Amino acid sequence: MLQCIFILSDSGEVIVEKQMVGHRVDRAICGWFWDYVLANAAGDPSKILQVVVSPTHYLFQIYRNGVTFLACTQVEMPPLMAIEFLSRVADVLTDYLGDLNEDIIKDNFVIVYQILDEMMDNGFPLTTEPNILKELIAPPNIVNKMLNVVTGKSSTLGSKLPDAAASFVPWRTTVVKDASNEVYVNIVEELDACVNREGVLVKCEAYGEIQVNCSLPGVPELTMSFANPTIMNDFTFHPCVRFRPWESDQVLSFVPPDGQFKLMSYRVKKLKKTPIYVKPQLTSDSGNCRVSVMVGIRNDPGKPIDSITVQFQLPPLIVSADLTANYGTVDILADKTCLWTIGQIPKDKAPALSGNLRLEEGLAQLHTMPTFQVKFKIMGVALSGLQIDKLDVKNTPSAPYKGFRAQTQAGKYEVRS
Amino acid sequence: MFGLQSSGAAASWVVGRMGTDAHLYDDPDDASIPALLDSRFDADKVDALKRLLALIAQGVDVAHLFPQVVKNVASQSLEVKKLVYLYLLHYADKRQNEALLSVNIFQKDLSDINPLVRAWALRTMAGIRLHVVAPLVLVAVKKCARDPSAYVRKCAAYALCKLCDLLPDQAMALEEIVDILFGDNSPGVVGAAALAFKTVCPSCLALVSKHFRKLCETLPDIEEWTQIILIEILLRYVIARHGFVKDSLLSAEIQGINDSDPVASMPTQHDSAGNGFCGTISNIMLFRHYIEEFSGFPDGEGDSLRLSSVTTSGNNDVAILLKCTSPLLWSRNSGVILAAASVHWIMAPIGDVKRIIGPVLFTLRSSPDAAHVMLGNILVFAKTMPLLFAPFYEEFFINASDPYQTRALKLEILTTIATEPSIQAIFEEFQDYIKDPDRKFVADTVAAIALCAQKLPSIATTCLEGLLALVFYESSMSNSGHFDGEDAVLVQAIMSIKAIVKVNPVSYEKVIVRLVRSVDKIKEPVARCLIIWIFGEYNFMGNLIPKIVPAVLKYLAWTFTADVVETKLQILNASAKVIMHCPEEHMEEFKRIVAYVIELATYDLNYDVRDRARLLSRLLPCYTTHLGPSHHPPNGDICKELAYHIFDGKLQPSSPSTNNYRIYLPGSLSQAVLHAAPGYTPLPKPQSMELSHNKIIEPTRSNNSVAESGSSIYESSSVYDSESEGDGLSDRGTDASLHHQDNQDVPLVHIYDTSIQKGQTGQNAEENFADLISTDLTELMSKSALESWLAEAPADTLVQNSLQASSARVAFTNHSFERKPKLHTLLDSSDSNGLRVLYAFSSEVSPRSRILVCVDLYLENVTTQQLTDIAIKSEEASSGVDSIGQTSEGSVSVPTIVPVEGIHSLAPQQTEKMVLEVHFHHHLLPLKLSVLCNGKIHPAKLHPDIAYFVRPLPMDLNAFLCKENQLRGMFEYARRSVKIHLVQYDHLDKLEHSDKNLQVAHSVASKILGNTNVHLVSMDMPVTFNVDDTSGLCWRFSSEIPSTSKPCLITILAEGHASGPLDLTVKVNSEDTVFALNLLNRVVAIIE
Repeated sequence: MLQCIFILSDSGEVIVEKQMVGHRVDRAICGWFWDYVLANAAGDPSKILQVVVSPTHYLFQIYRNGVTFLACTQVEMPPLMAIEFLSRVADVLTDYLGDLNEDIIKDNFVIVYQILDEMMDNGFPLTTEPNILKELIAPPNIVNKMLNVVTGKSSTLGSKLPDAAASFVPWRTTVVKDASNEVYVNIVEELDACVNREGVLVKCEAYGEIQVNCSLPGVPELTMSFANPTIMNDFTFHPCVRFRPWESDQVLSFVPPDGQFKLMSYRVKKLKKTPIYVKPQLTSDSGNCRVSVMVGIRNDPGKPIDSITVQFQLPPLIVSADLTANYGTVDILADKTCLWTIGQIPKDKAPALSGNLRLEEGLAQLHTMPTFQVKFKIMGVALSGLQIDKLDVKNTPSAPYKGFRAQTQAGKYEVRS
Repeated sequence: MFGLQSSGAAASWVVGRMGTDAHLYDDPDDASIPALLDSRFDADKVDALKRLLALIAQGVDVAHLFPQVVKNVASQSLEVKKLVYLYLLHYADKRQNEALLSVNIFQKDLSDINPLVRAWALRTMAGIRLHVVAPLVLVAVKKCARDPSAYVRKCAAYALCKLCDLLPDQAMALEEIVDILFGDNSPGVVGAAALAFKTVCPSCLALVSKHFRKLCETLPDIEEWTQIILIEILLRYVIARHGFVKDSLLSAEIQGINDSDPVASMPTQHDSAGNGFCGTISNIMLFRHYIEEFSGFPDGEGDSLRLSSVTTSGNNDVAILLKCTSPLLWSRNSGVILAAASVHWIMAPIGDVKRIIGPVLFTLRSSPDAAHVMLGNILVFAKTMPLLFAPFYEEFFINASDPYQTRALKLEILTTIATEPSIQAIFEEFQDYIKDPDRKFVADTVAAIALCAQKLPSIATTCLEGLLALVFYESSMSNSGHFDGEDAVLVQAIMSIKAIVKVNPVSYEKVIVRLVRSVDKIKEPVARCLIIWIFGEYNFMGNLIPKIVPAVLKYLAWTFTADVVETKLQILNASAKVIMHCPEEHMEEFKRIVAYVIELATYDLNYDVRDRARLLSRLLPCYTTHLGPSHHPPNGDICKELAYHIFDGKLQPSSPSTNNYRIYLPGSLSQAVLHAAPGYTPLPKPQSMELSHNKIIEPTRSNNSVAESGSSIYESSSVYDSESEGDGLSDRGTDASLHHQDNQDVPLVHIYDTSIQKGQTGQNAEENFADLISTDLTELMSKSALESWLAEAPADTLVQNSLQASSARVAFTNHSFERKPKLHTLLDSSDSNGLRVLYAFSSEVSPRSRILVCVDLYLENVTTQQLTDIAIKSEEASSGVDSIGQTSEGSVSVPTIVPVEGIHSLAPQQTEKMVLEVHFHHHLLPLKLSVLCNGKIHPAKLHPDIAYFVRPLPMDLNAFLCKENQLRGMFEYARRSVKIHLVQYDHLDKLEHSDKNLQVAHSVASKILGNTNVHLVSMDMPVTFNVDDTSGLCWRFSSEIPSTSKPCLITILAEGHASGPLDLTVKVNSEDTVFALNLLNRVVAIIE
């Protein structure tokens, strides 16, 4: 069980301290933790492990947008429970506050406290479903309704939902007000790829999430099927998905929560094609290193490829870098990262970055090679080829509006040089 | 500011400003909070409470406003109520008395019509953790467990968890409520009930049996967090009830092991490869690690149980558990996936285990935060069944964003699962990693290449080519001296070459030649040493190497003076090896070179080098002197023989220490941090459950339940009498004789005062004691006690009571308490052909190392025959190296057991004493020993006693209080209301009350001093009007942790009556809080 949760700012300052059990954890532990971060990751908490052993406590931490969520325990507990819980807290807070950063948490610290208190009791997760939480604690924009809204699972629930359905679909608000009778399905895929130094595509796979935004009255029954479910290698489901129909017919049958949620995530492995190519070339001799990076479209996905960026860490022991591109902008960031923002690839020319790195005195050749991280975004297509066959909605008074979208972006897309 | 305006304005302010509370967080102090709290308007109160919350968030202590805040708990506004609750829960343990004020309101709220109000009231009332209210909370929980609202019932289950340490004597009542909640038809409540079960009565698996089927069916519907808990409970139940499945991973392969050698931990060759075995961790090892009962037996016994207690996969309970957990492998929560996967890992038939691979690997991508913990578990899986993971090697390719530790794990997994088909791809990947900017990771990669090459000889040649190229490249790079970590890569590359070459040096002689020829380009001393070693070791092998020997030897002689000490030593060694294998035609030439080197070395500045030179010139006189072979020194042959053994002894193939894995249950924190975290419980003993009783009391059970509180060993080992019961009366006789001192009356108290001689009898001391109080009261009284007493007592009673009311600090000398060693059984005579070994911890300090603990062993021969060759050894490098990180640091060089001379023979009925100096790796886990006797090895477990891991630290009271003040907050642990019933002395009633208090004081002090190795700092006697009121009685003990020299302070406070049950509060202050917590548990166990 977690003894307490701290929320730390980017500089290690404690923003929120929430004790969970009778035996209080002194906030000195945060000081220890921050010293540890400084010593082991130069002050960047994203670079340290999620489980840290301190002299007094076992610490769990996750890092989101400059905010560190830190939890302590002294006894055996499933570490993944703690880590998943902290990321759930981060998700819920993001959902509530619209964004997550130090200032937003400070501005809404009362809400944060109330949410933490509701999400965890005695060091164990209590209510983590966003729909129920929103009934218990109103999001900040309608706070003036707080006193009226905070009735939670009032006794009226039972009368509206016989058969005790309320507790069997804990993710769904029982009374959905102002339902606009719409359901939107969005396939968001991330393409992970790895191109080795010889230019061979070592690994290429798509990680996808099906996000549903649902605004339906009553207790709707949804069924979704895919045209090609067999291409998916792995999957996880939202708790609302019934296992049996999936096991037998690969059909998703569920009573959705209200609002935005992640219905499932999946992975399609061993893809053969990437939409773009990135060809870096670094040659170094007598203290200079010539850099040239070419980017172009390889397999046209049929939709425009947007927001292309190529990013790499300049090798250590560089005195100066002189890099220019024939298209887009090149920035050298503070942490010695070179960011080449291309946007869309123009029709008339192939974007190329070239330039020269000057090595330190006495060094003839580069001995380490950077890895190029590529980002892009393609709207309107799921590169894995996954297709939704149909979506049936039952149990609603009138036929709802159904919308479908897809997009693909680069995930861990790495090109080694 | 705003809050002070009228209610109308306040309302509009609420509407306008509630969206952000930024100003409250920034300036919580800019309004008078007490005034706001006393306001009539809820809005003002809300404002004030929010300011308080902001102050709490910023770490300001606002406990002084507790009384004003508490009274607002009666507010009708839910928002005020919630904020008050938040404040209350934060401070209740500090302000117990004021918190009591709120209880009435809670009671009232518990019957509110709004279920949310009922739930909040219950949560807060249980959350403030007041002993006084605990019975009331229990009543409330009973009521709420039948509440119409599922949410309230769920909160009732949570409240049970909070109650269980407040009401230890009400365990039955709590269990009953858990039973009711298990039967609930709302999944949310069932899930919460699982949590309550785990906290309240994790060992009452009988309770589960009633609900088993229903729990399994509800499993997919309950919340994800409680799924993790319930899966674990169900797994433990099935194992305790039915044992393992016959063809599951843990029970399979039995035949193979039984046929082959009994050293089961070595991977056997004929493991059925089709099943995916052939890993470096055998399933027997897993079995031992997962089940505590069998971690102590090196062979035999565990297996027989493994064999006997199996069930089939057709068993209904097993089948239903597997069926209900398999859909959970698709959960969105990585914790649930891992919990479900471990059920399949442990229980599923071996052919079905592969279904967990996909889901487990997918979490690496879908929950990036969980990836590292997951990889740690995958590593154990992969080492057991590498073939299962072999096709998925691409999952473990390294991403640029992985932190170092993750990369290291992935490398290890890749090395483990590499097979002939995949090695090419893996090797190409490794080659890419060589260019990575993280040089430490590069060095690891180079080491991994060697491991792969050793495992799969087909790629050895390719690997060597690559490594040689790397060595040449690095040697040219590192000379420019620019980078950190570059040397490490070079050294690792040479070490990898050395490891690969070792297998078959002759066939790789070209590699050796090329490597040795590069030695002049390499400046890094360690790298040079390695190459020179390789040169010396293989100088006579193959056809090519001998040809370069003269040139290299000359080169080494030439550079000798310029090299560092380590390299010089290696050159000397290499010279010796060369000369011993030198062919005739070069003899004269080599002799001159070697003689030159030795001569140089004899005049070296460093004495190690000089010593080595002298050794060589004595050992190899025939080679190193210029006199011809005819002039043999007298014992030349012996020297030659000796030199041969020293320099030419065949290298022991360093077998990978297969035993060294730290394996804990999958998904546990212990597996993530690689040591047993407090509260870690291995699986129950298979088929240990009997359904005939409703309440089962069994060794396994009680062990488990106590382990939950972190002190498993004590309970079972401290009650010596009950342990030896089985051995009958004769046993007791010997025990008594083993005690060197009999339990005789000893002086009760020594007043620490020069005017009184030590060694007075208790009676005298008491008389003097009274004198002292009357004459010199103010000096003896502790100042604080006096003040508090003055504050309470009216002035006129001062004189009247001054004689009997005593708050005196009396220094009982430590020696006045007899340290009676408590004897535990190490080895029972029935297990070991008549050798009985008992042990007791002694308070002596080991002269060798501060970490060592002295244990007195009493070996007794209960047979009628002579026992011979008795020795005690530790199972070195055994799997039990569960040291907590900080204790293992700096203690690496200390052996587990300081070797002691064995007993040659032991006559019948003879008893021998032996002092063993032991280094315990863990405070709680037993140490595995093997007792050798008559040529047989008997496994035994030495249970550590944390009370003897400290040593007395003499200090005076002021130093103690000062130290205690430095160790507040997170360094302090307290356990309230430890109840003890003192032994009722028959004569107690007749004594004056001060005598009773003395009796009590003495009895507690002697309990502590008799069982722990601490120093008694002071004992405060109570200020009292009531005859047998002991309130205020206070003991202080000091000690230090030898390994770290950190002080460890123990304070015990008493409340209650000397004649009735005493209520003690035990507090431990120490910087090493894990240790402190364990020590606290131990002290409590001692007192109770």
